[in-house]
Formats: sequence, structure tokens, C-alpha cells
Amino acid sequence: MPRVMMQRKTKPQASPEPLKSLWRSHIDDHVIGLAWSPDSRVLAAAGVSGPITLFDGETGAVVHTVSGHTPDTMAISWHKDSQILASVGQDGKVRLWNRLTGEQCAEMSGGSSWVEQVAFSPHSDELVSAAGRKLRLWNAAGELIHEYPDANSTITDIKWKPDGSQFAISAYNGVVLYDPRAPEPLHRFEWQGSTLAIEWSPDGKYIATGDQDSTVHFWITDTGQDLQMWGYETKVLELAWNQNGRYLATGGGTRVIIWDCSGKGPAGTKPLLLEGHTHLIKHLTFQSRGTLLASGGNDGLLAIWETSKKHTSNMRSSAVFKHAIAGLAWSPDDSRMAVVDETGVVAVVQL
Amino acid sequence: MMPRAEERVPVTVLTGFLGSGKTTLLNRILTENHGKKIAVIENEFGEVGIDNDLVIGAEEEIFEMNNGCICCTVRGDLIRILGHLMKRRDKFDYIMIETTGMADPGPVAQTFYVDDEMQRNLTLDAIVTVVDAKHIWEHIDDSDEAKEQVAFADVILLNKIDLVTPEDLDKLEARLKSMNSLAKIYRTQDAAVDMDKILNVGGFNLDRALDMDPRFMEPEYPFEWSGLYALQAGTYEWVMGEGPDPSMDLVLLPLSSTGLAARDATLMDAVLTFSDDESPLNPEETIRTGKQHHQLLLNASGQSVFPCVIEQAGLYMLFTEHHPNEFDASLRMMGTQIDPQETREYKPDHEHDEAVTSVGITLPGDLNLDKLNQWLSQLLRTKGQDIFRMKGVLSVKGWEERFVFQGVHMLFDGRPDRPWGSTLRHNKMIFIGRNLDRAALEGSFQQCLV
Repeated sequence: MPRVMMQRKTKPQASPEPLKSLWRSHIDDHVIGLAWSPDSRVLAAAGVSGPITLFDGETGAVVHTVSGHTPDTMAISWHKDSQILASVGQDGKVRLWNRLTGEQCAEMSGGSSWVEQVAFSPHSDELVSAAGRKLRLWNAAGELIHEYPDANSTITDIKWKPDGSQFAISAYNGVVLYDPRAPEPLHRFEWQGSTLAIEWSPDGKYIATGDQDSTVHFWITDTGQDLQMWGYETKVLELAWNQNGRYLATGGGTRVIIWDCSGKGPAGTKPLLLEGHTHLIKHLTFQSRGTLLASGGNDGLLAIWETSKKHTSNMRSSAVFKHAIAGLAWSPDDSRMAVVDETGVVAVVQL
Repeated sequence: MMPRAEERVPVTVLTGFLGSGKTTLLNRILTENHGKKIAVIENEFGEVGIDNDLVIGAEEEIFEMNNGCICCTVRGDLIRILGHLMKRRDKFDYIMIETTGMADPGPVAQTFYVDDEMQRNLTLDAIVTVVDAKHIWEHIDDSDEAKEQVAFADVILLNKIDLVTPEDLDKLEARLKSMNSLAKIYRTQDAAVDMDKILNVGGFNLDRALDMDPRFMEPEYPFEWSGLYALQAGTYEWVMGEGPDPSMDLVLLPLSSTGLAARDATLMDAVLTFSDDESPLNPEETIRTGKQHHQLLLNASGQSVFPCVIEQAGLYMLFTEHHPNEFDASLRMMGTQIDPQETREYKPDHEHDEAVTSVGITLPGDLNLDKLNQWLSQLLRTKGQDIFRMKGVLSVKGWEERFVFQGVHMLFDGRPDRPWGSTLRHNKMIFIGRNLDRAALEGSFQQCLV
């Protein structure tokens, strides 16, 4: 089994440029969900106590504040056309909001009191919600398309395959794949442990998972083969693929650990380590088409890393927030990075 | 940005069988004017009254977690819920977790040690177990859950005392003490107890690892009986018949006065003397007074007579491994039986062999660090499932500081603490668990001494 212990030393680097904010705002709440509309025009920030604020991505002006969930909003997801925002929360509901009017357009029942996960398909009108072990598929009008058999344990993540043909959920015992047109699961990738986060590679070849037991897995979706990466400092919740599926960046500690999936894949290779954070990394995200990787940690550091072949591992620019970073999101057009800290400071920086 | 210890939110775990008074206690905690904003995580729905506080229902999800070299069970639901609560940390300053009546507290406690996020933001304060004084007898002998809830507790509320006699309460308290000598036990009616007895107790706090109840370190005596004799100078005989064992250990110590302090000192001398290697004594060989650990080897049949020379008249305490009645044994002079002025029986430490017990070990001397590490890792590997909790303060050779530790099953947390300074260096440990073999634990621990 590959271990993370071996280090490939990163080159000494020039000090990173400070990042400049395009705009800053504050919502006086811990932000639990941060998501750009697919057209990059609106930034939605969901506060844990309920309200969801829709900001104009250009100016930071508040377009709408929708009430969200009482108690506690848990997650948000945008419809592909940028016109509907879905939210879930501890009121047991899935709610759909109209972006133009700020009004609720549908309210559905998640099946249990804590609805923790929601994900719109990247290519269709469908969305999936998870509440405890309940898994439900809806359309954008809020109609139930299907309720699946209960998962083995509470569902910890839902991610659609980038082409929209399948979605995967994680729970204790690994990953389960679904075809939205079939009532039963397609495949199960089993691991005796609590899988916390999943991320499809852009080509759908791999599903990467982060686990409570401080492991990262690469499941090869065609064969169900499992590559396990051990040696993380802590549980792994932070996973990000780069645009061509070559690199998987992972957190699970104070260093960003990057696996190279080119050639024969990551098995037996030494990962690249990016050093700079002094506390646990909590957020990692790649640009959708560019080569920049952003990391945010409990140390309040937002770091932007260049991962193109020539300049691998240079911290290109950075900004330090007074409090732990609570969320990061690249605008889908790659031009901006939205960042929130745990006290509710919202900032958008221009790259 | 690691929050300071005092910024971490304390968590109390409340256990107890259905009907023990858990919900009554919880309601009391929530309504009492303690100025705290409390979040409650409930695994079964009681009738909890809530004003400003937060109540969250949870479905118990026990996971096995492979954590490098050890395997333990944790509560996945708690990791998720507490993880979420930390995001709204400003909204409360104390967390109570109420477990189901049948819950094993082990996975709950372990959950706080296997997740960094939890360790960073929360501190497990104590496990509080509510016991129904009247009905606990129906469970205590055959329910693993009841035993575990008692064994894991930092605080036990002996509730519903109005329904039982004081004698039964004493009996029950003694039984609970034998299972868990670490816990503080309070007798309550309607779960009425001062909040400072159950909140911010520091049961898992290393700094307070040895703020143990004095009774906690009371040794479980290696002898079953003692007799106080007033003896003249001269030769006595200790006469024994056949008994259940081919030998019996015996210590005869002078007692300076009948005062309590003198008795305690002699009792402690006896405990220490019994922990020395025994020296075998054949019949007709002489029993000596003072710190001599005799092992009397008995004749295969008939009587065995051991002379006993008293050089100075005075008070003496005779300690015997077994009750003299089992061997029809007595002290005689010139054929006349000498009766003790007072006798005392000590609870034999193998009374609850199969059940849950506490084993306290006190040992003077310094420990070899390598041997200690080997011993601990071997112990946790082989007995971790059976050791529910342990705590201790150790004296490691070459270290100026005391080494303090505590553990839950196989998870171990230890570090150097304050310097010994002028205090006497020694080792104190307590294990609470199932099927603990005191002799084996003591013996193997002794091997770690320098």
C-alpha cells in the first residue's frame, strides 16, 4: 500500500503575491454552503442558522436573502441553468428557490429531520437529496421521481458523474453508484470504514473518496478496483481533481497531498506535497479549466497554487484571514475565487 | 489557531437504564439556573423540556474504525452531529449526550479520541450514570450494558433512594465501588444533585487524573483477615489444620497503639509486606514478627504447628491470606487458645472474578521506560477490549516529571505532568474492566520496575 510518508521536496519558492479582494461582505453567521451559479453571476452563501444570501458576483450587492431552513441550513446546490437554487436543512425539507424573484418555488420532504445532502445533476433537471439513510430523486419542479431503498447508514456525500449519467453516494461501508433511471443501485464499492467524501474524476474513470480512518481511496469505476492511500494525519474530507483528471489534491492534514494519476495511476507513486499551511487544511478546489488550485485552512490561510507542469507546487498568491476558512469556490468561468471565513466574512478575489 | 483548552466545549455523557431517572436529571440540568446554554443530543426521546437550549435527536450509528494498528468502535452519528454543532459554537457552551438505556458508553468515549475535529473543539468532561437503586439488581448481574455503564462512569447517581432501605443502599454502593472504584457516587432522590457534581467534573482531564477519591486508592487487600492480639513476651504457637490450600500467607506486625492512625499505618505495612516476595516456612520453623512475608507450607495431613516468638509484650496484628476458620487455625500458648481482642475481615479481591471490577495498583520505585512501553502496548493489544478505563500516575526513571495517563479501551492518552519535587516518587494506577486478573496485572507491572 502506498504511504504518504515519503517526501518529494518542493522547491524553495518566491514569496507569494498578496491577493486583492474585488469585494468583501459579511453575513454574521458560519457559512455552511458556498456556491456560484453555473453562469458565474451569482454567489450563494448559506449561513448555518438558516438564511441564504445571494450576492451579485461582480459587485457584492445582495440580490436576495432567502429564508432557508429553521433550524439550520445544511447544504445548497444550483440547477444547471442558474435559475433555481436548492437547499436542505434540519427542518426535514428540500426547498427550491427562484433566483430572480428570491421566492420559494417548491418544498419537499427529505424523509428525516436532518436533510444533509443535495445535488443537482450537471446536465438535467434532476436533483438528489439525502436525509439520514433516505435517498430521494426529484425533478426541478419538486416532484418525487424515485425513493431508493435506505442506505446502510447516514449518507455523507452525493456527487453526480460529470456526464450526468450516474450519481454516487458515500456512507459507512463505502460508495454506492446509481443510475437515475434505475430503481436499484448499479454498483457497490465496499470498504469497511466510514467514507465521508467523494469526488469523480472529470472523465468518470475514478471515484476518489476521503475516509474517517485517514485513508484516501481511488475506485476504478470500470472494474471496482480499490487503490488505498494510507498515512494521512487525520480524516480526509478535502478532495479536488484538476481539469484533465491527472491530479487529485487531498487534504487530511496540514499539507496538500497531490496524487498523479497519469500513466499507470497513483499506485506505488510518491505524491507531491505542498507545504505552507500551519493548521489543518479544510477546503481544496481546482479551477474548472485552469491549472490553479486553492486551499483554505484552519490557520485562516487562503493559498493559490500553480500546478502546471513547469511550475508545480509554487504558491502563487495568498491571503490570510483572521479566522479559519469556512469555504472556497471558484467561479465556473475561473476568473474569481470566493472565500468565507468562519465568522461570516465573504470575499471575492480576482485572479 | 488551536483553541485553548478552556475554549473547548465540555461534553457530558449521560447514561443509565430506561426508568433510572436519566430524563429527570436532564430536565433538571436544563431548567436549573446555571447560566449555561446547553445543547442536548438524545438517542431516545424522553420528555425533555426546553426553552433556550437545543435538543437534537440522533440515531445511534456504531462504526468499527480501523485506526492504524488499533481497531475500535466509534459513534458516527456523534461525529456528524457534533461536527455540525461546532459550526454554531457561539450558540451554546455545554453539550450533553443522552445515550439510550442499552447503550455501551465505550464507543461514545472513544469517539472523542479518534477524530481531530472533535479533539480540537470539544473536551469529554465526564460520563455520568444514573442508577435506579431499586431495580438495578435486576440488571447488574446479567446485563453487560448495565455493567459497562457503571464501569465507565466518572459519576454515579444512586437514584430513587426513597424506594430502598439504607442497608440495601450500603450494599449496592459497595457493589458499585467494587466494580468502579474511580467513580464518585451520590445518593439522590428525583435525581436532585448539585450541578457542580455532574458538570465540569474533569473525568477525562489528565491534569486531574489523580484527583481521585481517596477510597479509590484504597488497596484491595491481599489478605482476608486480621486479628488484634495483646501478647506477652514468650513463645506462642500458630496451629493450623488442613484447609482448602496447601499453604497460607501470614504477616505478624506490632501495633503501637489501638488508635486509628496506628492501625492504618500497620495496615499499610501489611499491604506492603504482602507485596514482598514470600519466604516459605515449614512446620516447626519460627514465625517472626515484623515485615516478614511468611508462606506457611502445611503438612499434607493433620496439624501444622509454627512456633512464634514474641520478644516484647504489646499489641500485635496478625494478617492471614485466608480466614483462619477455613483451616481451623488459632494462636495458642501452652495449649490454650488465645482469642484476638478484635478481628476484621477484608473483602477478598477475587470476589467478582468473572464480572466487572476495579484493580488499583500502588507500587514504589521507578519504571524502566522501554519496559513500560512494551508492557502497555502488549497490555492494550491483548486486553484492550476488556479494559474499559484506566488512569494513573507513574514514576519513570530519569524523568523529573510525573507521567500521567488515562485511557479508554485501546486508546491511550498520556504525557509528562508537573515535577515530583519533594513528594515521594511512586506509581499509582487503576484499571476498570472485565475479567481483570489482579495478580497478573500486578506481576507484569512489577517487571517494569528498574
